[in-house]
Amino acid sequence: MKASDSTKLTAFLFPAVSDWWLTLLRRGMALQVALTCLTLRSDWQYLFSSKNGGMVNRHLGEAILDLRSTAIPRLGWLVRAGHQLGLREETVLFLAWLCLLVAALFLLLGLFCRTSAIAAWFLYLCAVKSGNLFSYGVDNFVLIGLFYLMIAPLPDRSALDASLFSAAPPNPQRLGFHLRVLQLHLSLIYFFGGITKATGQGWWNGTSIWRALSSPPFDYVPLSTLISLRPLLILGGICVCLLEAAYPIFIWPRRTRLLWLAGVIGMHVGIALTMGLYLFSLVMIVLNLAGFGSQLHLKPPRFFRLTAGHVRL
Amino acid sequence: MRAKPVYLICFALHFSLILLASSRDLFSVLSEGGNLFPASFIQSWNRLEDCTSAALGQRLFKANPLRQLLTVYTHSAGIEAGYGFFAPNVPNSYKLVFEIHHPDGELEYQLPEVRGAAAGLRLISLYDNIGRITYEPLRELTLRMLAYSVWREHPDATLIRAVFGTVTIPAIPDSLRGQKESYDLICSYDFAPAPSESRLPK
Repeated sequence: MKASDSTKLTAFLFPAVSDWWLTLLRRGMALQVALTCLTLRSDWQYLFSSKNGGMVNRHLGEAILDLRSTAIPRLGWLVRAGHQLGLREETVLFLAWLCLLVAALFLLLGLFCRTSAIAAWFLYLCAVKSGNLFSYGVDNFVLIGLFYLMIAPLPDRSALDASLFSAAPPNPQRLGFHLRVLQLHLSLIYFFGGITKATGQGWWNGTSIWRALSSPPFDYVPLSTLISLRPLLILGGICVCLLEAAYPIFIWPRRTRLLWLAGVIGMHVGIALTMGLYLFSLVMIVLNLAGFGSQLHLKPPRFFRLTAGHVRL
Repeated sequence: MRAKPVYLICFALHFSLILLASSRDLFSVLSEGGNLFPASFIQSWNRLEDCTSAALGQRLFKANPLRQLLTVYTHSAGIEAGYGFFAPNVPNSYKLVFEIHHPDGELEYQLPEVRGAAAGLRLISLYDNIGRITYEPLRELTLRMLAYSVWREHPDATLIRAVFGTVTIPAIPDSLRGQKESYDLICSYDFAPAPSESRLPK
């Protein structure tokens, strides 16, 4: 690699940026984790209990996890530690849920950001890995977001920590590096998602969209409506492949960034409304807005600028 | 910034792992066939999947420290799997029905229940995982655990039969002709008498 290439690469990976993206990521991930906790509140014990009253004995999930590695964090560790302190499993599971919710609320406020981010990541990781039999895509994306948040240069200037403890603002180049990591990771996520879909015939003839929207429990849209929208299903399938596979090409240039970001966010809003995958859509929108939305320098429409000028006159 | 080289090394390692995990899962999906590539490519996809798995340390002995380190890191960062959701095609969904036999000969049918919609999505994910299990005793054990919670609601039941199958959605033209979704049996297990504590894994 030539010296100039190396300089270009370093300049690309370490741009000086503001901490606005980090504020978006922190608040978005906090909201995501808090909503996950609240929506699972009534089923938490049922999902993670190792007693026979649980959905699937937690020990089974953890035994499967052991086949990969015994060093991956899991709720069993916390239950065992609680046992040493004389706490019952139900109490430890409740405390884990409560601590996760509190960590999310602290993150939302920006209070003890680093500690809260580490706690949220660790507890979420434990829950997801213990429940690996019933975890799904959303959990990986939440873990990715929490992992990047945990290692990011916290606190951002909007966090309570910054005003309470007069913390020095983060180095703009360090902020830029962490933003680039998130941006590049998002590009890979959509690229691989898009090209894997594009290899299936179903995404080109509308079958996959039809199956995705008509299979229980994602059948929110009536079948008669879907049938009447048949041409749109074909278009929808092609658009999904195009939006995802071409994401790394069109999300980076400033000219196409807004269009692509709006398209991808629109796709996720569509997934939420037509399939009921609200938490999945929320985490993807948060990651996209933090990664690329925060870098948009939007000017108000011409109409508003004229109106504002007239008012001043 | 003085620590740039350290950041660059971490960046290179992290993204190598993301690329390897994503590629491995892509090759794995392609090697299953049912995609736009000719069937003759399957061997190549298998070989590529093996290579990427090996690069991720998955061909090393389980106790190998490098394999352990890579596994723990990728799981902790949420990057252990690729991103081929609903790809290359949307798979069939699964359904589990419990047939409850009462002492008076009455039959009752019940679906597994959770309280919230969020947990309902996790139940669907559990079905997908059960559908992928090829090791029969593990599938039976998982279904037995699910059956146990039904048993608690119906302690008088003499037998609970877990019927697990796929739901096939008809294609659009078939739907236009009035064809409804069909249910194809994968497996069924009879659980009787009530499983005792000792029969469940500790």
